[in-house]
Amino acid sequence: MTTALSVRNATKIFGAQVALDQVSIDVEPGEVRALVGQNGCGKSTLIKILAGFHEPEPGTEVTVGGQTLDFVDPVASERVGLRFVHQDLGLVGNLDAVDNMALGQGYVTNFARTIRWRTERANAREALAALGYDINVRVPVAGLQMSERTAVAIARAMSPRGTPAKMLILDEPTANLPGAEAQRLYQLVRRVADSGVSVLFVSHHFDEVFEMAESVTVLRDGKHIITRPVEGLSEDELIELVVGRKLDEHNKRDAAAREHGPEVLTISGVGGGTVKDLDLVVHRGEVVGVAGITGSGREEIASLVFGGHERSGEISVDGTVLPENRPDVSIERGVALVPAERHANASLLDHTLRENITLVDPGRHMTMGILRRRPERADVQVWLDRLDVRPANSEFTMMQLSGGNQQKVVIARWLRQEPSVLILDEPTQGVDVGAKADIHRMVDEAAAMGAAVLVTSTDHEELVRVCDRVVIMRRGRAVDVLRGDQISADNITAATIGRDTNEPAA
Amino acid sequence: MSDAIVETKPRRRINLGFDKYSGLYVWGLLIVVFSLWIPDLFLQVDTFKQVLTFQAISAIVALGLIIPVAAGAFDLTVAGTLTVSVCFTAWALLNHYGVVVAVGGSLLLGIVFGLVNSVVVVKLKVDSFIGTLGMSSILIAVAYMITDSSQIVLSTEGYAPFFEFARTEIFGLPRSVYYAAAIAVFFWWILEYTPGGRYLYAVGGNPVASRLAGVRVGRITTIAFVASGLTSAFAGIVYLSTIGTATPDSGSGYLLPAFSAVFLGATQIRPGRVNVIGTLVAIFLLATGVTGLQLAGAPSYVTELFNGAALIIAVALAARTARRRG
Repeated sequence: MTTALSVRNATKIFGAQVALDQVSIDVEPGEVRALVGQNGCGKSTLIKILAGFHEPEPGTEVTVGGQTLDFVDPVASERVGLRFVHQDLGLVGNLDAVDNMALGQGYVTNFARTIRWRTERANAREALAALGYDINVRVPVAGLQMSERTAVAIARAMSPRGTPAKMLILDEPTANLPGAEAQRLYQLVRRVADSGVSVLFVSHHFDEVFEMAESVTVLRDGKHIITRPVEGLSEDELIELVVGRKLDEHNKRDAAAREHGPEVLTISGVGGGTVKDLDLVVHRGEVVGVAGITGSGREEIASLVFGGHERSGEISVDGTVLPENRPDVSIERGVALVPAERHANASLLDHTLRENITLVDPGRHMTMGILRRRPERADVQVWLDRLDVRPANSEFTMMQLSGGNQQKVVIARWLRQEPSVLILDEPTQGVDVGAKADIHRMVDEAAAMGAAVLVTSTDHEELVRVCDRVVIMRRGRAVDVLRGDQISADNITAATIGRDTNEPAA
Repeated sequence: MSDAIVETKPRRRINLGFDKYSGLYVWGLLIVVFSLWIPDLFLQVDTFKQVLTFQAISAIVALGLIIPVAAGAFDLTVAGTLTVSVCFTAWALLNHYGVVVAVGGSLLLGIVFGLVNSVVVVKLKVDSFIGTLGMSSILIAVAYMITDSSQIVLSTEGYAPFFEFARTEIFGLPRSVYYAAAIAVFFWWILEYTPGGRYLYAVGGNPVASRLAGVRVGRITTIAFVASGLTSAFAGIVYLSTIGTATPDSGSGYLLPAFSAVFLGATQIRPGRVNVIGTLVAIFLLATGVTGLQLAGAPSYVTELFNGAALIIAVALAARTARRRG
């Protein structure tokens, strides 16, 4: 039997950076292979080369079932039998399964170019049945369960289109799946493999590596570290392979916690979205971080605590309970939120920096029924200077600033309120190094001034830099806390991708 | 909009403000052209007075419309509310309910329509364009119900006190012009010099970010619809007092001019933002052009032609300057 996928000396250089360095891997027909590694290890570069989005350096050779792959475009990859399902699935939500499956391959038509709907529907049902799914193919896919949508995307990928599929490549297949649905997906992947098609999937979830894969390939810093069977591999060994060094036994040691001052923010039994039963206390002057992979609930915490969404449970600030879904009341009680994705959630792009900063209480400089521009400008100027916003001109519009400076303006808006609770969600997303250091310094200062600070971030170095304590989220729950010396980027990464032992799978 | 820091060039240039004040220049140009072309017809006190008087009602409607548009919501019911107000006031006067009930009832109806609009848009989450389009159709039905599908004519003699409301002249101009001016000053103060104005523009700029900054987005939208409803109802009262006749299509000619003025106005004074002074400039610019052309002998359809063309040209030019700046 020929090898399903053979990659030889895959190399890709971006500018001065070697993203992928002489990587060679083989996948056998019907094999399920996991591809793991930290962010920036080269796994997505490898996938993009296979998909025809990146052209690799000369010397790279890829064959699929014996056929050589020309790195020209996605069509060439498809022609040799490679099929891809990306994390977002690429489905159109308001179309049904039949239409979605036709998107890639066109419709079956009769002599008059009329779509033969009955045949189309039968084909779609059959393709899904082959994967073990019985789905109503006539409802918009947005109304289906996540695992069903994944099945539609996979069924579409698996359909013949000229050449039969030889290899299915999945990018983070269970990133958005709750436990029970993940189980269904594992079975689906099994069926695909049993039909002789190989599966290669990228994953941050070690659960799914152990559940689904027969073998695993680890990449680190663009290099191939190891390919080995999953059997006989322990989770700690895998983490060590991914991170590249041995880790502290953090969860067995309780280092002296740096929890100082009185309780300010008290979160008890809070749930909403994927977050379940969150208990957390943040003290005056303390900076608490929240880490977790995408889908762990980490990305929802900031808004839940601030009161941007409906939630269950109770949150209080200095003993006063905050109502859900009322940002205005939260702000009145001294809570501030610097949300993620500043363009969508925090910026008035065509308004001036002055208007952006004073948005929370524009009436501060009102005398005799008139907003006084001069004192307002002077007030704003102080904050622009303090955060070193460039250009420090209060009458510029937000749109005229770089990302880092926009973020500083948003932070200035909240620091000006002297909050007792400061929540920051991905505070340095898309921000350059200099601005990042400034923002971290502002977080230090806010805590020193007595704010209780909560930072959620995917940037683990950032959490190490600013936090006294880091809470780890997995599958919607806070499962671990790192304190003091335990807080290191490697430990955080390891903890976020660790296997849930205290929870039944599914 | 890239991540590069935009440096300001401290180059001094004489700025004639063609971007912000182009409307004023064009207005001035129109006056000069017509003064040279048809001096004996155009350069008359009566012409000036006529333009102001005819535009007072349009101006009130447009001023009311600024508020919801600033908050990012279309209100297509402004003309419908005006019509219902005209019809209700005429009906109440004709049936001897007295001026207080007629006027008070009309204003109350304006507030109610604003509240209904806000329920449709805020609570039922219907897009404002579609929601108020539907409401405007309903309001026309209401107007037909009130008038029983016919015309109500108020005789000048029988309703003298009511007609004084808009027609009495002060310094040679009817009161309606002063009402428009007072409303303009009031909304200008609200939008430029109060927190309420900031909230309106913020909601129009980015409702999600506004909410997360503590702005009560739903409440602001409701207030905006009520403001435009009330203002349109008031415009209806001024209309009836000026014209004296109510029909179910009294307001049909006011929708497009109001939107034209507001959007044209958004290219003036504070480019990119709907604003009071820009809207007034737009109204009088268009009125001057139309009046001048009519006096010069142009056919009556020139009004629609001029309004439509001016709107498209002005907004296109504004889009171009915005691109160059961004």
